[in-house]
Amino acid sequence: MESLIDRVKGTFRGGVHPPQSKSLTEDCAIQQGAQPKEVTIMLSQHTGAICEPQVKKGDAVTAGQKIGDNSAFVSAPVHSPINGKVKDISLQPHAVLGRGMGIVIEAASETEPLKAPCADKFKEDFDETKYSPQQICEAVRNAGIVGMGGAGFPTRVKIEPNPKQPKETLIINGCECEPYITCDFRVMMEWTSQVIAGIKLARRATGCKRVLIGIEDNKPEAIDAMKEALQKGSNSEGIEVVRIETKYPQGGERQLIESVLSRNVPSGQIPPMIGVVVLNVATCAAIAEAVALGNPLTHRVVTVTGQAIARPGNFYVPVGESIGRLIDFCGGATEKSAKVVIGGPMMGLAISDLSTPVTKTTGSITILTEKQIGRAKLARQETPCIRCGRCIDACPERLNPTRIAHSVKYGDLDLAQKYFMTVCIECGCCSYVCPANIELTGFIKTGKVLLARQKKKIPG
Amino acid sequence: MLSELVITPSPHISSRLTTRRVMLDVIIGLIPAAIAAVYFFRLYAVIVTAACVIASVVTEWICNRIRGREKPFESICDFSAVITGLILAFSLPPAIPWWAAVIGSVFAVGVGKMVFGGLGANIFNPAMIGRAFLMLCFGMMMTTWNVPATMDQNMPQIKTTENYTDARTQATPLGLAKQAIKSGKGSEIVNNQLKDLFYGNVGGSIGETSAIALIIGGIYLLVRKTITYRIPLAVILTTFLIAMFMSWVRPQSNISAWAHICSGGLLIGAFFIATDPVTSPLTTKGQWIFGIGVGALTMLIRLVGGYPEGMMFSVLMMNALTPLIDRFTLIIPIGGRPNV
Repeated sequence: MESLIDRVKGTFRGGVHPPQSKSLTEDCAIQQGAQPKEVTIMLSQHTGAICEPQVKKGDAVTAGQKIGDNSAFVSAPVHSPINGKVKDISLQPHAVLGRGMGIVIEAASETEPLKAPCADKFKEDFDETKYSPQQICEAVRNAGIVGMGGAGFPTRVKIEPNPKQPKETLIINGCECEPYITCDFRVMMEWTSQVIAGIKLARRATGCKRVLIGIEDNKPEAIDAMKEALQKGSNSEGIEVVRIETKYPQGGERQLIESVLSRNVPSGQIPPMIGVVVLNVATCAAIAEAVALGNPLTHRVVTVTGQAIARPGNFYVPVGESIGRLIDFCGGATEKSAKVVIGGPMMGLAISDLSTPVTKTTGSITILTEKQIGRAKLARQETPCIRCGRCIDACPERLNPTRIAHSVKYGDLDLAQKYFMTVCIECGCCSYVCPANIELTGFIKTGKVLLARQKKKIPG
Repeated sequence: MLSELVITPSPHISSRLTTRRVMLDVIIGLIPAAIAAVYFFRLYAVIVTAACVIASVVTEWICNRIRGREKPFESICDFSAVITGLILAFSLPPAIPWWAAVIGSVFAVGVGKMVFGGLGANIFNPAMIGRAFLMLCFGMMMTTWNVPATMDQNMPQIKTTENYTDARTQATPLGLAKQAIKSGKGSEIVNNQLKDLFYGNVGGSIGETSAIALIIGGIYLLVRKTITYRIPLAVILTTFLIAMFMSWVRPQSNISAWAHICSGGLLIGAFFIATDPVTSPLTTKGQWIFGIGVGALTMLIRLVGGYPEGMMFSVLMMNALTPLIDRFTLIIPIGGRPNV
């Protein structure tokens, strides 16, 4: 029987319940992707300073070799996932930036062995005390690890001790609240020991006393797997699995903190200001691999999904693999598809160029047809705002999306700021619920970009 | 299969809820009141309702044509004009001539809504604008009531301005209540009618007499989350508390709080008129203020003003205050004001 404490679910204000659609891939074990022929390593795969290339056109590179770096504090190096030759260093399609500099590497041979996941090298009794916090931070930095949940913030910056802001609580994000995506779920199920090893290393580096692993209650198998592994393992006192409500955007770090700690990160600030560090489960797995085995972050698990995909699944692929090749590997689309989205349908970015490469933050590729999107939504048929207030009720940050969006629409950025536009986390809940089909999130995003440009133009 | 890919901002899926669906829910919520209206006022109810709905829809179409809209029929499909027609009809006396109902509807949609730019842009509730217009133009018609068919098959007409002592055939309960306030006695006549008020077996406007039908419709809207509980609760509670206090102070001249709630369009106002999202505040706090304001103004008009009902003018007054209320009840983000 469930104890009372198990039945109490953490949650946050607002949010929405989109259809999960996770059944397409949740039972698909992580498999190898296609034999890579060519990869494109973007020099900007993270928040912070863009890497400088450290190789030239024509250079031979080996798997795991660092090929780009930047000495700035907030940055992360990039590595080659394969043995091969630098074919080109030029502007390439980029999921977030549109275009960005990328290093194109041609594989040395067509039969090169694929890099296999290393989860079997980790046991429950992993001893993290062999490594000092400095060693862990160095290894994480050198491996180029960034937050793999989506934002791509360099992990070293997050876990490094800062005397001004002591860290108390480490929260591990196993929510995976976006519909369709299952890569983190599979990582928790299959690489359980590796994830827990990474969590223990992160705890040692940050010096946090308390570790809370937040998992949504639609993944009871993952909750059980993590709990069981923690019980078997040594030195897991103070690490707790917290069952939280299945609701989007539960995996947003501000919402996750609200759900598990009942605290709110002040607007415009980041979790370290209240002594909290949030790390994604896949990031933890990467930390374990980097510290214990010295492997840089060159591969990740990507969910390729959507009702139109012939063979959806979860794949272990090199960073830099093109999205088009990945879709072809899954049998391509079986019916007319309207959108290819990098990420999930709520926050993901629609792309038109299928040569766009996978980056460290690409958790999923979702193919959507008109049926899933809805005809009116696809055609962007907007009707007038009836001021119903559903966007306000859905907003996890308690903003007034309709007022902000309409201020931006009519060009009044000052008014948009009076409604706290910059606090928006761009989760998309307001657009999702809007009965008038207004792209509220789209307008707010535009407003933020316009405001940033305005600030740049006017010095001081 | 992956050609002509569409690029739009995220999110790429939606809840599939449409404005039309929201409006359709309001119409469904009004069905119990419509059934009650036909039951109590027979053909009168059918004629006036049909006149109002048809006139409202046609007016919207003509306005769209005049504005040069490419698809003048498109905005009809959101059903908002139908709702305006229905609510206006339900707030009119049964015996009003069909042509007067048409004039009211044309004014409601044309001046109350379309001149502001159509759905979502109007300041005042269009149906209440139409009713106010009729009140000013045809004062006599608007205060002439019928005895419901369930009491007298002939449905004789009675005017509020005359004096009545027979509880079975009086004008409206609130008309009687007004007399009680003036004369200082007679409130028990209305109080004894509470059962009739609850079922709708009294004189009054077409769709507002049956409390039970309006409550059923209101609960439907609440369950469907078409409206929030805040405005109806604030309106009803404020009215109830003021009425309670007054009937406690002077029981002879003031009818009971329950009678106030069940009469004079208070329930249709609380559930269907004051909750119009376009003309009520967006913010939670604002909605409480709005509801309390509507309730308090209604009671002020009923107790000291010149009209027996008061719902219409209080809603219109609070509509005018809505932009101001929204401005003064700014929503603060959950993480507090950012330091900028």
